[in-house]
Amino acid sequence: MMLIVGTVPIKDLPLTIGKASAEGDYLVVNGHRIPCTQGTAAMITAALVTTEYLKLESPQVLVVGDTGQGKGSREMYEYLIQNVAKLSPQVLALHYCLPDMALTRRLCEAVKGCAKRPTMIADAASMYAAKAAGLATSFDIFTPDATEMAFLADPDATHPAYIARHLFDTYVTQTPKLVAAAYQKKNAAKLLLVKGATDYVVRNGEILATISEPNVPALEPIGGTGDTITGLLSAFVYASMEPHEAAIVAARANRMAGKLANATPATKVRQIINQFPDVFKQYLCQWSEVCYIDGGEK
Amino acid sequence: MPFFRKKPSFEGGGLVLFMDVHDAMAAEKVLKAADYAVKLVAPPPELRRGCDLALEINLVEQPGIERLLKEKETGYVSVLPMKPGTSGLLEIVKITDFGDWIMVKAANMKLSFEKKSGIIVNTSGGGCPDIPYLHAEMIGKRLDEAPRPRDLGFTLCALMLDRALEECLALWGGSKL
Repeated sequence: MMLIVGTVPIKDLPLTIGKASAEGDYLVVNGHRIPCTQGTAAMITAALVTTEYLKLESPQVLVVGDTGQGKGSREMYEYLIQNVAKLSPQVLALHYCLPDMALTRRLCEAVKGCAKRPTMIADAASMYAAKAAGLATSFDIFTPDATEMAFLADPDATHPAYIARHLFDTYVTQTPKLVAAAYQKKNAAKLLLVKGATDYVVRNGEILATISEPNVPALEPIGGTGDTITGLLSAFVYASMEPHEAAIVAARANRMAGKLANATPATKVRQIINQFPDVFKQYLCQWSEVCYIDGGEK
Repeated sequence: MPFFRKKPSFEGGGLVLFMDVHDAMAAEKVLKAADYAVKLVAPPPELRRGCDLALEINLVEQPGIERLLKEKETGYVSVLPMKPGTSGLLEIVKITDFGDWIMVKAANMKLSFEKKSGIIVNTSGGGCPDIPYLHAEMIGKRLDEAPRPRDLGFTLCALMLDRALEECLALWGGSKL
């Protein structure tokens, strides 16, 4: 099972766990309809489209309403800490939340109770909390964007708003330097997919691949396009791709979807996600060992 | 055998400093009543500004906490990261011209608007739970009619989005486009 965990911006949505399904532009979990916009919803939808294409089990999701006050985030982490061993997911992907170092620490301890250790993926504020708590090396994959890479490289910052100015000034051209600094201070997961004008796939400090084509600069302003990469990557890892291969294919697929959607800064993330099945059909076999044959076989 | 309930642990990463002990205790009461996790602590000597009592907070919640303390007229000196080496809040922004649109980036947050109409077309970046909410509230609205993230949001991500909005307003209103 792949378990995706994160908050959604619906104030009164109670803690909800269940299989994700799609209904038009909405995600549906246990009868609750969640709009597919920036954040956890975009990530889940990207993962769902991928698992549907690959004919895999749909993602199991743990979501809760939280618009910033943190109550939902805390409930979500407490539930996960109590139940992760019982759930024992193969892939555990943590996303939007109010970052809480102590809860992240307890979660990392609780994960040790799983029958088999899940592949641990963190993005958004779950990644901020893991880094701030000094727990980055307990994670298998982080998916920072270029600014968040500067945050991982800054040994003192507990949030990207507090990164040193010189790191913010120089990050675009300095990603390899920032990657080295983050690994040196043990502030990086085993694998990083750094999302930017050029995407970097890094394993234990070694840059394995860079992806810069197709070049679609308009993806950066579109809210949720970083979330979709993390959703794609999580689903590809769940489909048994090697993590670095999953990262490369996810980065390529997101770029290609942006190109097919003729993305502009005004494009919505749902328009990017809608392109994924076509991208998979045209390119997945070429990029990986996962191939599509008409008639639904793979 | 006596049963001890383990006290929930708390690692906040931020400190609210006060001029006197009375303010610190009043702030603790105000914040706890609003469900914030806080802890009275002694500030490290290098960060001390007023009295020797401070409140440890989750630094990410700084904007919401400062807003609440001001609303309740509870005095405080400043909010700081606990790690002495930490830089101050990022003040600078970066601007990218996309032809018909402008994107302004403040730390991890980006806001994009159409030059001609001033309509916000996207917000991106961040990872805190108020960000998808602000995304939904702001998109499609004109820059000067959109809600301010500093008023609706609670986190440092929201504060950075507000910085980006401020710069967008200056660019659009100042006809620098």
